[in-house]
Amino acid sequence: MTGTSIGRHARGAAALPRRGVLLGAAASPLAVGRARAAEPVKAYSIWPENYARPMLEAFEKATGIHVNFIRFSSGEALARLIAEKGNPQVDLLFGGPVETFTAGEDQGIFEAYTPPAAADLPARFKSTKGMWTAIADDPLVFMTNGKFLKEHNLPAPTSWDDLLNPAYKDMLQMADARTSGTAVTRIFSLLQVNNRNEDAAFAYMKKLRKNIQAYTKSGGGGTIPVGLGQAAGGIFFIVDALFTRQKGYEVEISFPKEGIGSAAECIALVKGAQNPAGAKKLIDWAVSPDMQSLLAPAKINFLPANPKVAPDPDLAAMLKTAKIIEIDDKWAGENRKRVVDRWVAEVLNAS
Amino acid sequence: MLVLWLLLALFIVYPLTMLLGRAFFDEGHLALGPLLAAVENPNNLRALRNSLVLALLVGAAGTAIGLVFAFTAERANLSRRTIRLIDTATLLPLISPPFTTSIAFVFSFGPRGLITYGLFGIGNVKVYGLTSTLAAETITYFPIAYLALRPMLASIGGSFEEASFSLGGSRWHAFRTVTMPLIIPGLANAFLLLFGCSLADFATPLILAGSDFPVLPTEAYLQITGMFDLKSGAILSLLLLVPAGIVFYAQERFTAGRSYVTVSGKAAAASRRDAVSRGARLALLAACVALTATILYFYALLFFASIVMAFGANHTLTLEHYRVIFTEGLPAIEDTMTIALIGMPLGGLYGIVAGYLIGRVKFTGRRALEVISMLNYALPGTIVGIAYLLAFNDKPLALTGTATIIIACYVFRYSPTGIRTTIALLRQIDTSMEEASASLGAGNLTTFRRVMLPLILPAFFAGLGVVFIRSMTAISATIFLVSINWTLITVKILENMTEVALGPAAAFSVFVIAVVLIVTGLLNLTLKRLTAPTLSIGGIGT
Repeated sequence: MTGTSIGRHARGAAALPRRGVLLGAAASPLAVGRARAAEPVKAYSIWPENYARPMLEAFEKATGIHVNFIRFSSGEALARLIAEKGNPQVDLLFGGPVETFTAGEDQGIFEAYTPPAAADLPARFKSTKGMWTAIADDPLVFMTNGKFLKEHNLPAPTSWDDLLNPAYKDMLQMADARTSGTAVTRIFSLLQVNNRNEDAAFAYMKKLRKNIQAYTKSGGGGTIPVGLGQAAGGIFFIVDALFTRQKGYEVEISFPKEGIGSAAECIALVKGAQNPAGAKKLIDWAVSPDMQSLLAPAKINFLPANPKVAPDPDLAAMLKTAKIIEIDDKWAGENRKRVVDRWVAEVLNAS
Repeated sequence: MLVLWLLLALFIVYPLTMLLGRAFFDEGHLALGPLLAAVENPNNLRALRNSLVLALLVGAAGTAIGLVFAFTAERANLSRRTIRLIDTATLLPLISPPFTTSIAFVFSFGPRGLITYGLFGIGNVKVYGLTSTLAAETITYFPIAYLALRPMLASIGGSFEEASFSLGGSRWHAFRTVTMPLIIPGLANAFLLLFGCSLADFATPLILAGSDFPVLPTEAYLQITGMFDLKSGAILSLLLLVPAGIVFYAQERFTAGRSYVTVSGKAAAASRRDAVSRGARLALLAACVALTATILYFYALLFFASIVMAFGANHTLTLEHYRVIFTEGLPAIEDTMTIALIGMPLGGLYGIVAGYLIGRVKFTGRRALEVISMLNYALPGTIVGIAYLLAFNDKPLALTGTATIIIACYVFRYSPTGIRTTIALLRQIDTSMEEASASLGAGNLTTFRRVMLPLILPAFFAGLGVVFIRSMTAISATIFLVSINWTLITVKILENMTEVALGPAAAFSVFVIAVVLIVTGLLNLTLKRLTAPTLSIGGIGT
């Protein structure tokens, strides 16, 4: 094996110029020239590639700093950052629900940094210690298959109790709380809707369990099955639900009248980052209207976190009737592990 | 020999020690509390039981189907073209990224599945659970049994059955008393391989097992990736070591006390009389054709998903997904190819050297070497991945973020196939071959090079093929080892699947399959050129 040790150095020499050429085909020559001048920023992205790539390419265009990123689900990204604590591989964590960031803050993997635009944000969009800042907001929705509703003569569900209808037996897919931030947000929504009466919320989840076909690893894992009609519906982040509809699948999006939660999507600087200056520039940019005003034109259906950016009109109209409730991050962070453990013991394994 | 020990110590023993340290020690103190808690937890016990049931069934079903295919290919006097078709179809599951069969299953058998609903109009089918997981894993892994058994049947040749016939034995009698005992090491070997595959597989259960049939690798994976609980994840998967160890030991005991020497090394004469009757031949053929058709249907589905805008919603033909993988996906393609092409020769070489030492050379610690060399294979990939991450993250061996760590992981995890094939082949070659060489004054090395190497060349190519295929398709261990600098196609496929981007996922899969087919086809061609024409080696990449 000794003869085959291919480290970052060998790679840099062999492969990077090739990639530079490839990029050159897409971007303007000026951008490429500038991209070579600045040291690239390395990031783990929890946002899927089709949301993250357009944003990070726009950042490169604006600043000349290339962002080298790889996508992981929230649980995986966090586990990785914790494992790499002694030898950080990336400079920042990009996107992902706030509960991942509060968990990371507890693990001491972030470095405090407050971008200038954070001053404009409401309290729930930033860490009190400056460990993370929100770049977008993402409410949960009910998403159901249109054909299924027609065949069963059902309206789109507008109450949590509608999902208990026996017509949905073995037909709902939603995320597994062990891996998915979507699921954790869903469970805390339910606790909040039940005025933090945990027993009542868990009694509901146990009833709902009978209608669950599968709990998926990632938050968006059930969207294609619902789109295809293999599952009747589920609870997803609005960004994934609308993306499913944009792809052409016939799905209905609705909200429970009792209310449903929303997750702030965040960004944070990794402790021990090799390029903190570049990472801070990216954080400044992502928290400011510079990035968030690009979301709507790119048809990425996150709500901007920065109050200076107006949300997409269609998205705003859709959310007008929705009752979005606030989940206290501090309370959620403190109870997260206990609640998820209880969910695993009482809901997931209750079959 | 010393080099081999060093490599094993570095890339197998050291990471596992780090992992065990994490699982059993709390800040330097032995702490068994978490272990006992994990064992007492009824949910963990249920997952362990499920894993065992699944692995036993997959091992048995896969070995049986593999034997049927191998026997049909070798003994049923099929035309070359038919054999090639069967070869190609059976290899598809083996050379595909791990999620493809599962995804085709979900499309075909759910409440709106193309087969259950589209064809038969049944709407209340559950696709998640033991049955589909078993079926998908069997289809995914039985080609391993086929590949392991076919060279064995080929090397036994028809001459022994011929001898049985000429002594008045019936076909069935010949099969039972001559062929079967000779392929028992092969069957045990195949069963062990499949049992191990199923025990360690997390990709298939992740998609198909659903919430009512939890298995240990998925539970361990979710524990680590989701609950940030490295400790209980490690403990959970260590539970898997026990059954893996038992099966390994049983296989050794089972095949030990018998002699499988086929006297002359490789004498394989073409059978002059049909080994199977007309009826049996038709039945075998029908079974093979039915399964082959199913597999081809799954892959047609996959290909279709790669050339339409959005599967199930918009069936306009498009090449957009291929454009995406060759632009945005290009770094992953380049990285994967580089890693696979470097790992391939290393893995092939390591496989036959270790296999030869274990199978033929007597030295102290031979058993230890054998067991250690199998460890990374027997362990669930998740654990190997996490162990590597823990071991190679800090100085003095900071390898995270390099290609070396991924290549090492593949070589030491997937070469045991080459090792075991070498050992199994060696069992059939009488030691007199080497003794003759030695008595003519040749040293160990010369004997190995001049006498044994040509005889075990098929095992070398088997090693090459498996390491290359796995480097292109595996995910469970390396998902923890990919980095900003080096990423893999399989990881991109998983990401695409969770991003509602089925098209690129399918396109990536088609690309992987095409590359693997070409490379293993070339390997096979080379092997044919290098060996005598009478020696027929099964399939691509064996």
